[in-house]
Amino acid sequence: MRRWTASLLFALCALALWGARAEAPAQDEVRIDLSTDTQKRIGLVLESLTAAGDRTAARVLSVQADPILANDLAGSGLFDVAKAWENTGSLPADAQAVVGGKLTVSGGTLVLTGEINDFPARRLIARTDYRGPVTDLRRLVHRFADEVALHLTGEAGVAQTRIAYVQKGTRSSELHVVDIDGFGPRPLTAFKSPLTSPAWTPSGQEVVFSALRGAAWNLYAVPLNGGAARQASHGGTLNIAPAVAPDGAIAYVSNKDGNSEIYVANADGGGPRRLTVNRGIDTSPAWSPTGQRIAFTSDRGGSAQVYVMDRDGGNARRLVSGFSYTDSPAWSPKGDKIAFVIRTGGGFDVYTANADGSNPRAIATGGQNENPHWSPDGRLLVFSSNRGGGRGLYISDLRGTIVRRIEVPGTVANPAWSPRPAAAR
Amino acid sequence: MIRSSRFALICMPLLALALLSGCAKKKVIAEAAPPPAPEAPAAPAPAPPPSASEEPVKTLQDKLTDVFYDYDSAQLSSAAQATLDADAKLLSDNANEQVTIEGHCDERGTVEYNLALGDRRAQSAKDYLVRFGISASRVQTISYGEERPFATGSDESAWSQNRRAHFVVR
Repeated sequence: MRRWTASLLFALCALALWGARAEAPAQDEVRIDLSTDTQKRIGLVLESLTAAGDRTAARVLSVQADPILANDLAGSGLFDVAKAWENTGSLPADAQAVVGGKLTVSGGTLVLTGEINDFPARRLIARTDYRGPVTDLRRLVHRFADEVALHLTGEAGVAQTRIAYVQKGTRSSELHVVDIDGFGPRPLTAFKSPLTSPAWTPSGQEVVFSALRGAAWNLYAVPLNGGAARQASHGGTLNIAPAVAPDGAIAYVSNKDGNSEIYVANADGGGPRRLTVNRGIDTSPAWSPTGQRIAFTSDRGGSAQVYVMDRDGGNARRLVSGFSYTDSPAWSPKGDKIAFVIRTGGGFDVYTANADGSNPRAIATGGQNENPHWSPDGRLLVFSSNRGGGRGLYISDLRGTIVRRIEVPGTVANPAWSPRPAAAR
Repeated sequence: MIRSSRFALICMPLLALALLSGCAKKKVIAEAAPPPAPEAPAAPAPAPPPSASEEPVKTLQDKLTDVFYDYDSAQLSSAAQATLDADAKLLSDNANEQVTIEGHCDERGTVEYNLALGDRRAQSAKDYLVRFGISASRVQTISYGEERPFATGSDESAWSQNRRAHFVVR
């Protein structure tokens, strides 16, 4: 059994490598998906981190670190986590690995030694030291959590990522950002105006969004680490719904030539080229991960529907049939799926389908579930919803299980998932 | 009628004459633009309580009437066209005034779709006025999508009030 598990891990890693190599032809951009929506969760035993070095200081940090790590692993949607410190009796028999380690503090420096062993034999799978100032505790724990996912599933997790979102007021809204586990929400703007649709740049260093200032909606880009927002669109009164391609090009919607059409501009917002030409509404562009195609919403056929077109605007075709209204497309980072919303009698449901439109599946139903966005590993979706009262941000796995509600204050909408930090890619 | 309007305009600062003008124009609006739907009343800012002897002066802002739309539509109903006929007349009578038409939507649908729909609504109202003879340069449009609802609530009575083209005199 254990040997079988080890060979399975090897096979998964081999698949991951093969999947990465298979990216090049990308005719229809389908890559290997390690995270099928039917994959079972992996049982994990999580042990409390032990303290070493300055043991008093280390113990204080381990009390903080244990729930952060537990939250990361459970929130990944990949694991069933049994906390050893809460399970004094028998540990789950079907667990496949045990995760733990130690924290060593000396001076202001912290070393998290993360250990992954198989279970129940407890043979070492991986042991890694994560080093930093003691103030970096959360980041070091997130790095370890992501590598647990790497070693056990073949692909790193997303514990080091963030969500940009809009906090809505009655007259105006502001752009905010929060760690994926709900830690440290903070505003990125003080626009005091209507504001929507954050989109991350590929570096994760900036967020592009749309705001109404003066007599027009324009795109703005704001740096994550402080600094003023710069305007990134010109002309017309409606410039909205930015989406940033892997090469930095910005797809967005503008009415500068009459009615709402989709354009692609350079990363600085210059040189916009028009992609759509029709009298209907064209909006909500979303890039495929290679930047060769764009999903978008149009009512050219009578009702709002998701379409897919080439980067130059050619070959537009409807994504799915059988729904009276589909909108808000988001292309998965592996290219194999597109998430979108459908209108129901009383609200909106989040769905996924294969990128060719086949196999539509409900992910989040009941009430208003809107604006789905993929995690960078393609295994989770964040969306806004009024489930549970108020409008909040939720994360679901691809089976439709809610793995997390991001606890941030206020009425919030328009979540956008950051890329992984550069060091973790 | 045009002559009396101009006369009224010239004399607008004079309270006594403005009173007359207000009455005359109000009547015209009532004839030309019946309310679009019973559940969607035009909702200008509430007037101050009338005093015993005089009515408040009605500005162009007060007189321009908003236009209402069906769900997920920017089409002008016959009621909306009648409203715009009256609005166009007011604008041609006040040739120095410039307006912004705000397009608004109910809360259903995505922010991005509703911003495009609100843009189309404002544009449909502007196009109608321009066909009527109003100079396009006098009329700006801006979409608010679902960002600035007139009525709160998640039912048809609120939604129908929020699907509108709203006039703002600049």
